Amino acid sequence: MSETIKKPNIIPSRRVFLKGAAAMGTGAAVLAGINDGARASGDPIPVGQAAPLTDFAAADGVEFKNGLELACEEINALGGILGRPLEPYFEDTKQMGDPTNVQAVQRLIDRHAVHAVINGYNIGSGAAVQDVIADAGIIYVHYDTTIGHNNLIKSDPARYFGSFQGDPAEFWYGPGFLKFVQGLEERGEYKRTNNKMAVVLSAGVYAANIANAIKETGADYGWEISLFETVNVPISEWGPTLAKIRQDPPSVIAITHFLPADLAQFMVQFAANPTPSLVYMQYGPSIPAFREIAKEASVGVVYATLVGALQDEIGTAFETRYKEKFGANAGHNSGAQPYDGCYVWATAAALAGGTGEPGNEEQNRKVAARMNALIYRGVTGVTRFVPNENAAYSYPTQVADSSLGMPHQFLQIQDQTKSGGLIAPPPYATTSFQLPPWIKG
Amino acid sequence: MPTRRDLLILAVLVALAALIPLVTGMRYIVTQATLFFIWAIVVTQWNLVLGVGGIFSLAQMALFAVGAYSTAMLGYYFELPMLLAMPIAALVTVLVSTLVGAACLRLKGPYVALLTLAVAQMLYLLITNDTACFTNPPSGCMPFFGGVRGFTRFGDLGFRELLGGKWYVAHFYVGLFLLALAVLFSLAIIRGPMGLAFQALRDNPGCAMSRGVSKFKYQLWLFALSAFFTGLAGSFYAINFAAIGPTVFSISLLLFLMSMIVVGGIGTIWGPLLGALILMLTDEAMREFGDWRDIGLGLILAGFVIFLPRGLMGLPVARLPRLSGRRRAD
Repeated sequence: MSETIKKPNIIPSRRVFLKGAAAMGTGAAVLAGINDGARASGDPIPVGQAAPLTDFAAADGVEFKNGLELACEEINALGGILGRPLEPYFEDTKQMGDPTNVQAVQRLIDRHAVHAVINGYNIGSGAAVQDVIADAGIIYVHYDTTIGHNNLIKSDPARYFGSFQGDPAEFWYGPGFLKFVQGLEERGEYKRTNNKMAVVLSAGVYAANIANAIKETGADYGWEISLFETVNVPISEWGPTLAKIRQDPPSVIAITHFLPADLAQFMVQFAANPTPSLVYMQYGPSIPAFREIAKEASVGVVYATLVGALQDEIGTAFETRYKEKFGANAGHNSGAQPYDGCYVWATAAALAGGTGEPGNEEQNRKVAARMNALIYRGVTGVTRFVPNENAAYSYPTQVADSSLGMPHQFLQIQDQTKSGGLIAPPPYATTSFQLPPWIKG
Repeated sequence: MPTRRDLLILAVLVALAALIPLVTGMRYIVTQATLFFIWAIVVTQWNLVLGVGGIFSLAQMALFAVGAYSTAMLGYYFELPMLLAMPIAALVTVLVSTLVGAACLRLKGPYVALLTLAVAQMLYLLITNDTACFTNPPSGCMPFFGGVRGFTRFGDLGFRELLGGKWYVAHFYVGLFLLALAVLFSLAIIRGPMGLAFQALRDNPGCAMSRGVSKFKYQLWLFALSAFFTGLAGSFYAINFAAIGPTVFSISLLLFLMSMIVVGGIGTIWGPLLGALILMLTDEAMREFGDWRDIGLGLILAGFVIFLPRGLMGLPVARLPRLSGRRRAD
């Protein structure tokens, strides 16, 4: 990161400015260009975040806070938004859920008059926050990863003009996974032993929506869902489920439950007597605890994320800056969400001539229009919103052009001491798929 | 019956509170005051159960949730106007409270606490473990009880459409009105025959029972009646935030509200209100401290239990009968 970026109140030359910004991605360079060397010294623009800073999701919540803080700091170094610095404010959503989320966002509006709310995810979010945002006429970017958002915006795009989901809906995990397996087969990296797929899910909208998406679209890819089982979580004893799997071994086991400790236990118990099945899991394997519990049984597991920092030039530069500021163990993948969300909003606001305070719907409609027209290349790949759904396109399932959608990243644990290697999609992949040891034999 | 002095205090407090939206342009203060009114209603009613009736019930937030969920479900499934849904939800809460009371009140002390807490947890699990899609609105699969996500978009009192961005001022006055009614009810209980019955049962149980004062009967009446305003508060809470979910069952919220009663003074008329005010201000001041906030609140609660078990109304200056409004023989 250039020296310029670390000192917000120095006016650098335009060339130095743009050079520093380019290291952060093309979006930052655009913002620096619009600011035209302006110093962020005007009236601060309050920007809010409602995140689970305490309770069970605090590990992610703290990273969401870090991500927004880093984005604000960098944007201020680039001249803020047309010379006005960003000032972040935070509210704790604790155990999350709509009533808590609504109160937190309402407080940000009432207490700090924020012009935008830039969140990571809040579990249990439905349609309530979007209503608070619509009433206040401000901008909202979140990463709740829910198809409910798309449907809500579609139901009344005029009212919900300001609400954006920075990543694709969880639905895309389903067809995206099927497409990924199809790609492995086409490239000869994997060969199914039969057409059977076992789907294991837990109670909850997120896991159920993904599992249902696999179930509904599986036949299009030649799969027969041989097992569709809901487990009560947290779960440490997988015996009954494994017995069913072993009785009728499928080619693929897809588990849409996401708690790392539960999934690690599955792998430990599966490894004792494995079936020749490709094992795909949701989210959990991305957490170090999964590898720590499952140890060598974790090697070979495939998992995915619809939004995460890429392992490319821009993504790794971000990881370096992030870990320099917040420590070597900081989770930059979670921080990347509000980080990119903030840049998308700030760039659009600069293009629209500035932000709007609560009640200034006219200006915020201009910002929202710019956001809808923007193709932003950030640390998580490309953010481009689906018209009238205000959610990011997913690449390669929704769009075939990698420059027009957010990459649905597939990772595989190939070394139990390291986090997963990015095996798809091209051109972002940094390593190749390896047949899991229990299939290789 | 309520004394003139208590009524005068109530009138003055309501008049002063009514000025808040007029003297401050800060929406934040007005919306926080509305939340204070809601919690104050809950603690004045819980105080009746806990402090006056001597029932160690932990079901108060479950009853609050019954009121909130009833309102949301009446609005969501039957599109009932919220003005009608509110009293119906309060009556549903009374019914549920009567059933819970009938099951719990023959037990004593910690057993009542355990059973009422178990009832609350049972309701919580019933809601969160309900995952089958009952309807499929635009926001996604909706279980019958709303599941972990809860209910939204079930209607409002019409002020959002009528007043636009100033709807929260109308909600402030609705909250204040409901609180005034709840305090009046509380005064009527404490100063009325029911309060006298409980005083007799506390001071000389043998004599009271020999005169036909049935502890179970009076406790059941109190448990059921106090649920009306608790349910109404829950109903208004759901309408005010336009959302309700299982987070209202959280133990930390239960303890936060119980702390208000302890800090203010259990069994007193004005103590719970004072406790609610102080703890909400303290909570606000400690908001930026993350987990330290909970630790801070815990320390305050522990400090009061050890050094001021009768709460702020137990301080020497407040212990004068005419100030505390407490009817105790001791």
